[in-house]
Amino acid sequence: MTSTSPIISARNLTLHLGSGEGRVDILRGIDLAVDAGETLALLGPSGSGKSSLLAVLAGLERASGGALEVAGADFTALDEDGLAAARRGRIGIVLQAFHLLPTMTALENVETPMELAGMAGAEARAQAELAAVGLGHRLNHYPAQLSGGEQQRVAIARALAPRPAILFADEPTGNLDAATGAAVADLLFQRAREAGATLIMVTHDEALAARCGRVVRLADGEIVSDSIR
Amino acid sequence: MSANSIGWSTAWRLARRGLDWRFRGLRLLLVCLVLGTAALAAIGTLTGAIERELTSRGRILLGGDLQFTLAQRAASDAEMAAMRALGTVSAGTRLQAMARPAQGDDVAVPVELKAVDTRWPLYGALTLEGGRESDGRRAGAPTGMTAWIAPGVADRLDVTTGGKLRIGDALLTIGGVIADEPDRLSEGFSLGPTVIVSPEALAASGLVQPGSMIRTKYRIRLPTGSAAADPQALADAFTARFPVAGFEARTRDKASPGLDRFVGRMGQFLVLVALAALSIAGIGIGNGVSSYLEARRGSIATLKILGAESGDIARIYLLQMAVASAIAIAAGLLIGVATTPLLSRALSGLLPVEAGVVIDAKALLLAAAYGALIALTFAAPPLIRARDFPAMALMRARVSPLRTRWRAAIRSMGLPVGLGLAGIAALAIATAPQKELAAGFLGGAAALFGLLAALGLGLARLAARLPRPHGAIARMALANLHRPGAQTGALVVALGFGLSAFVLLAAVETSLDANIARRVPDRAPDYFVLDVPRDGVARFETVVERAAPGATIRTVPALRGTIVAYGPQDRMVRVADLKELPENAWALRGDRGLTYAETVPEGNTLTAGKWWPKDYAGEPLVSVDADLGKALNLKLGDRITVGLLGVERTATIASFRQIDWENMGFNYVLVFSPNAIADAPHNLAATIELPRAAKTPGVRRAILSGLVRALPSSSVVEIGPVLNQARDILSQMGTAILAAASVAILAGMAVLAGAIAAARERRQYDNVILRVLGASRRQLLTLILAEYALLCAVLAAIALVLGCGAGWLVIVRLFDFAWMPGWTRILAVLGAGVTLVLLLALAGSLGLLRTRPAQALREL
Repeated sequence: MTSTSPIISARNLTLHLGSGEGRVDILRGIDLAVDAGETLALLGPSGSGKSSLLAVLAGLERASGGALEVAGADFTALDEDGLAAARRGRIGIVLQAFHLLPTMTALENVETPMELAGMAGAEARAQAELAAVGLGHRLNHYPAQLSGGEQQRVAIARALAPRPAILFADEPTGNLDAATGAAVADLLFQRAREAGATLIMVTHDEALAARCGRVVRLADGEIVSDSIR
Repeated sequence: MSANSIGWSTAWRLARRGLDWRFRGLRLLLVCLVLGTAALAAIGTLTGAIERELTSRGRILLGGDLQFTLAQRAASDAEMAAMRALGTVSAGTRLQAMARPAQGDDVAVPVELKAVDTRWPLYGALTLEGGRESDGRRAGAPTGMTAWIAPGVADRLDVTTGGKLRIGDALLTIGGVIADEPDRLSEGFSLGPTVIVSPEALAASGLVQPGSMIRTKYRIRLPTGSAAADPQALADAFTARFPVAGFEARTRDKASPGLDRFVGRMGQFLVLVALAALSIAGIGIGNGVSSYLEARRGSIATLKILGAESGDIARIYLLQMAVASAIAIAAGLLIGVATTPLLSRALSGLLPVEAGVVIDAKALLLAAAYGALIALTFAAPPLIRARDFPAMALMRARVSPLRTRWRAAIRSMGLPVGLGLAGIAALAIATAPQKELAAGFLGGAAALFGLLAALGLGLARLAARLPRPHGAIARMALANLHRPGAQTGALVVALGFGLSAFVLLAAVETSLDANIARRVPDRAPDYFVLDVPRDGVARFETVVERAAPGATIRTVPALRGTIVAYGPQDRMVRVADLKELPENAWALRGDRGLTYAETVPEGNTLTAGKWWPKDYAGEPLVSVDADLGKALNLKLGDRITVGLLGVERTATIASFRQIDWENMGFNYVLVFSPNAIADAPHNLAATIELPRAAKTPGVRRAILSGLVRALPSSSVVEIGPVLNQARDILSQMGTAILAAASVAILAGMAVLAGAIAAARERRQYDNVILRVLGASRRQLLTLILAEYALLCAVLAAIALVLGCGAGWLVIVRLFDFAWMPGWTRILAVLGAGVTLVLLLALAGSLGLLRTRPAQALREL
C-alpha cells in the first residue's frame, strides 16, 4: 500500500437480499474511496443502506456485485473465511449493541481478537488498552457487571487493541444516554487518532457526524452527497 | 485446517472461556448422554458377568464336561462301556417320589429323589448346613441308607439331621440338610424339594420298576489331558453311535439350555434397550447442542466479526461439546457401574450370578466409545450449521431465522454425519451377539426417525395450507407450526419417540400381566400323580374317592420317548441330521411324554383326518399336534418314528389335533393308537381335581397319606406350589423387562423435556412481543396449550401404532409370549403422556408469564 492509493476502494458496489419477487435492493452502485487516516461519517435515514454499506466494507457481508478492495485485499474475491482472516488485525468494529462475549471478562474480551490473529503479548496489550479507555480497574468484570457506557468502552478497546488500520463503528452511541454517549464518542475519536486508524462511522446524529472530516449521505441505497470539511 | 486458522491451543483457550462450568444450556446433552452411557455400561457389565459365570461355572453347573440323559431306563452295558471310554462316569437317577416320616403315614411330602453314585459330584462340592456331614467327614455322595435332604423336606416332615424318613420301602437316615447343591441349576424345573440318596437306597425303595417315570443321567469328566477336546464333538459322535437309544446330550458350554435361552433372550432385549436409549439420547443430544448454539448465536457472530473463521468456530464449540461429553460419559460410566448390582438384584433368581460392583474394562470402554460417537455424530449438524452462517446472517437471525438449504446441508454434513452413523452401526453390529437383530433394530430406528422427520415436515406444510381460523389464538397456534423457525420438526420427532415409549411400556406391561394370568391358570388340577401301576387304578380311585368324595380323576398311559424321524415314508428326515430345529418344533428337543388312547383326548379337537375306531388293530397310527404338524410340514399319511426305551417305533399320521394347552391337564403332542405302543412297559399318570369344598388341609393330608399307603411306588406332585413358582418366575421376568425398558423411557422423557424447553426458548421473543402488544397471560397460555394439543392429537395416534408395534416385537418375537395388550391401560398411559407434555409446556412458560414485559425486553 502506498500513501497515494486509498485504503478502501469500492466501485459500483451492489447488495441485494432474497430473490425473485422477494428481492430487496439494499445498495445500488456505490462508488467510494477512503484514504488512510480519514474520519468518515455515513449518514442517512433508516433503511438508506448505511449499516449495510458498513457491513460490506468491513467484510461482514459479501457484496452482490461490484469491486471492493480494503487494505490491499480484494474483498469480492474472498469467501467467508477469507474475509474473516482479512479482518484480523486490520479491521476493528464497534457495534451499537456492544456485542461483548457474555461468558468472558473484559480482559478476555479484548484479548480475543489478538489471539485469533495469533498476536504475541495479547494480555499485556489488552490490559494497556483497557487502561487507556479508563477501565484498568474493571479487567476481571463480566459484561453483565458493567454499565452500558463501560461495555462500549470495552468494545472500543477490543476493536483497537490489535492496532487495526481501519475502525468501523455502527451507531456507537446509539444505546447510550447523551452524556455517556458524548464521553464514548470523545474516546472513540481520541483512540482512533492515537492509533492512526481510519475511522468509518455510521450514525444518524448530525452533531457526531460533524466531528468527522468527511460526511457521506445515503438515501435508498445510493450515495446522494459526499462532502469533505 | 487453513493457514489462517487458529491452532487448537487458542481454540481451547477461547472454548474454556466460553464454557459455563455449571453447564447451563448443555444440561439436555448431559442428561441424555449420561442416561445412554449408564444404560450401556450397566448392561454391558451385567451381561459380561453372566457370560463369564456361565462359561467358568459351566462344568460345575452341569456336574461334568458332558452329560447323557435317558428316559425310563438305564444305559446298557455297551452304552456304559462307550461312556467310560470317554472319561470318568458318574451315574445318577432322578424321579418323583413321596417322603414320609419313619413312623406313621399321616404326612407325606412329594420330593424329587436323586440317586447318585460315589463319584458324584465330579465337579464342585455339596455343602450341607453347618458345612459338614453329621459324623464330621466332608460331605460328598451319601452312602448306604443315608440321605441328604433339602430344607423343604426337613420343614414339612419336621425332621432334622440324625432323624429318619421313609421313601417307598426304604428307611433312610438323614445325614444332613442341603445348603448348596452344585448342579441344581442344570437339573431344571423342580417339582418338589430334593432328597439325595445312594443307588443302594434307591434300589431298597422299590420305586424303580419297568416303565417308571425315571430319568437316568450320566455325567462324564474328560481326562485332564484332553481338556481341549471339543465336548460337543464327543457328544455328537456318541449319539451318532447309538442313534435309537434316545440319549439327550448336554455339554459344559450349555450346562442349562433353558437358562442359556433365557439369558440369550434377555441379552437380546437388553441390547435393544441400550440401542433404543442411545437412539433417543442421540436426538436429545442433537436438540441440546442445537439449543446451546442457538443461545450463543450472538457470541458466534461476535467471534466471526473479530476474525474467527468457520473452522475456528467449529473447533471452539467442538471442544466445548467434547468437555461436556467427556464429563457426561464419565458420570454415565460411574452410574452404570453403581447400578449393575441393582439390575442384578432385579434379575436374581432368574440368573446364576449375583453381580456386585464390577469394573469390566471392555464393557466400560465400549459404552464410552458409543457415548463419544453418539455425541460427536448428533452434535455435528448444529455445529456445522453454526459454522457455515456468515456473521451478519447470525446477527439477523432472531427475526430472520437461519435457513438451511438442503443440498448445501447434505454436502457439508453428509460426510461427518454419515461416517459417525456408520461408525455407530459398525460398533453395534460388530459387538452384538445377535448381529441381524442389532442391524434390524438400527434400521428400524433410522426408519422411525425418518418417518417422524417427514411427518414433521408434512405437518408444517399442511398447517401452512390450511385455511386460517377466525379466532386469533387458533390462528397463531396454527401459524406457530409452520412459521419460519418453527420447531415443529424437532418437536414431532421428540414427542413421537417420547409418546411411543409410553405406549411401549404400557403395552409390554399389560401383555406380561395378561400372560402371567393366562399361563398360570386359576383353575388347574390339584395333583398330578405319576407311576400309578396299571393294575393299581382301582385302588387309586378308591383312596381318592374316600378322602375327597366328588373329586374328578383322569388317568392316561404315560410313556416317554424321543422323536427320531418324521416325514413322507420314502424320504423321512432324521432329527439327528438337522443342523438347526425348525421354528416352533420344540417337540423335537429331548424326550417327550407319549400316550395312547382309544378316543380323542378331552380338550382336543380334530382339525384333519380321522380318529381310529375302538379296538383298532391295523398298522400303527398316531395323531399329531396341529402346530407341530405345521412346523414340520407334515401331511396325513406321513410317518413319525419315536425312540421308546431304546427301540424305534414308527406310526402313520392319521389325524391332526388342536390342543388347548391352557387347561393344565394331560396334553400330549403325539397320541398313538393303542396297538402302536401299549405293549411297552409303562405306568399311568393321573390328575386329581378336588371339589371346592374339599380343598382343605385335612383332605389334602388324607389323599397324600392314603396314596402313599395304597400305592407306595407312585409319586404325587402338588400343583399349587408349582404354579406359585411359575408365577414368581414370570413376574420376576416382567419386572426385569420393565426395569430395563424404563431406561429408554427416562431418556425419552429427558428428550421430551429438552425439546419443549428448546422450543420455549425460541418462542420467548415472540411471547415478549405479544405481551408488549397487550396479550393477557391467559391468552398466551391458551396459545401454548392449543399448539401442543394440536401436535399431541396427531402424534398420540402415531405413537399408539409405533409403540404397539415395538411392544409386539418385544413380547412376541423376542420373548415368545402372547400379544395381549390391555387397551384401557395403554390409552390411560398415553393420556398421561399427553398431559405430561402439556404440563411441561405450561410449566416452562410460567416464568415468562410472571416477567414484566419491559424487564423481559431488556433481557432479550
